[in-house]
Amino acid sequence: MAFFKGRPSRSDFEKEALPHLPSLYSAAVRLTRNERDAEDLVQDTILRAYRFFDSFEAGTNCKAWLFRILTNVFCNRYREKEREHEILTEAKSSDANVEQFFAGVEGGRDVETALLGRLVSGDVERALAEIPQDFRMAVILADLEDFSYKEIADIMDCPAGTVMSRLYRGRKLLQRILFDYAVEQGIVDPGKVPELAAEAAEAAAQKASSGAPNAAAAGGATIDLESFRRRRGGEGKGHGQA
Amino acid sequence: MARPDRVRELRCDDVDAFTQSYVDGELAGNDRETYERHLSACEECRQAARFAGRMKAAVRGHLPRRPVPAALEQRLRVALAEQPAAPPRWPRLTWMRVVPALAVVGAVVLVAGTARRHHSMVMEQARRTYQASPPLDVTDCNLVASFFQGRVDFPVHPPKLAGPIECKGGRLVNVEDRPAAYLVYQDPNGHRVSLLVFDPEWSRIEAPTRQVVEGREVFFRVGPGISTAGYQDRGLGYVMTADLDMDSVRGLVSQTLH
Repeated sequence: MAFFKGRPSRSDFEKEALPHLPSLYSAAVRLTRNERDAEDLVQDTILRAYRFFDSFEAGTNCKAWLFRILTNVFCNRYREKEREHEILTEAKSSDANVEQFFAGVEGGRDVETALLGRLVSGDVERALAEIPQDFRMAVILADLEDFSYKEIADIMDCPAGTVMSRLYRGRKLLQRILFDYAVEQGIVDPGKVPELAAEAAEAAAQKASSGAPNAAAAGGATIDLESFRRRRGGEGKGHGQA
Repeated sequence: MARPDRVRELRCDDVDAFTQSYVDGELAGNDRETYERHLSACEECRQAARFAGRMKAAVRGHLPRRPVPAALEQRLRVALAEQPAAPPRWPRLTWMRVVPALAVVGAVVLVAGTARRHHSMVMEQARRTYQASPPLDVTDCNLVASFFQGRVDFPVHPPKLAGPIECKGGRLVNVEDRPAAYLVYQDPNGHRVSLLVFDPEWSRIEAPTRQVVEGREVFFRVGPGISTAGYQDRGLGYVMTADLDMDSVRGLVSQTLH
């Protein structure tokens, strides 16, 4: 079948692969959270891709193929040991369904608009950098590079169900973190939403009694959604996800 | 986590799981209808879906592509240049060794050495895709035109070929980074014919042998067991590839140009 399989020319490769450099670099920066590492990651990816270019099936999706290589190289060489940080971030989110606030709470629509309308790039970059690597990768591939679930599954070498789960949890975490930023920055006033204010006060009190450093006033306290729901008497649609 | 393909009647508790698939464009057909039906009847879920959509748009909007540092791109080109040199993809010696019988079209084959001047990415791509025989995205000839609508910038209507040769479907492919349509036909004897349809403004059709068919310029390239013909018709580019000899392929091309 491979009658004419010879080594591809460099210009073939450059024409096919280099147009994807901006995508690869952007993803690398957000994965490694470090421009220097991002450049090395991209270089390693491109060189590896060139060496294996004759295994690339012409007419198929070159961008997905390149991202598969990038992911492999990232996992092998640049993956950090951030287990501890990941666990903390996850625990913070718990069943964070931030939009439940907005949907079920009076004044919720205003809060939603305030949050989404006042988001700045810096916040979103920061929030993305805070979520665990696997979730971050899924969000980057889906939301920034528009890959399908199937393509992401190929790229991350995992089942589509895992992709959906990572995407779901990654996005929930992002929402939660952005919501907390908004409260910190005073964009969202928990006072507008009485239940939130009560929660903020309770959280602040807990922190004070446990001896942990007290977060600044109500605006800086972390909202505990679990207690919020308990307080609402178990109504509402909050539920855990895999 | 609930999978979209198990959507039947949705309750609010289920909706959250499918909202993500919906917002990502992964919910289709019956599932999508069921989901949208639920949304139309439920304000809270509608709001949640709207929020998810707005959230996704906000994330995308605030995470732009980073410009590639010029130094990085330069470094890459240098590094690629330093890799072991690659011989040409269509080495003349290989052809001559494998197909002495092609001495008849020797004039064509000998041009292989100079064939790099006639190097046409789209003709090569058509042959490579033909040999790779990838799975089809759409397998019903009647649905081909609607499948490609919105996926490529031009209308795709599979030409009808001689009687027993049937269109089997198509696949979305890239030609030099632009979307193109790859159509597959089969005849009862098992011969496979493919037709790559693309925008000729972005890709040049060229090959060593040039003939005029039905008043149109058609470029042919013949190799062991496979013939390729490239031509333009009504503003679109076509490359036909088949495990047939050149005369047969010319006949098929002539039919489509009628």
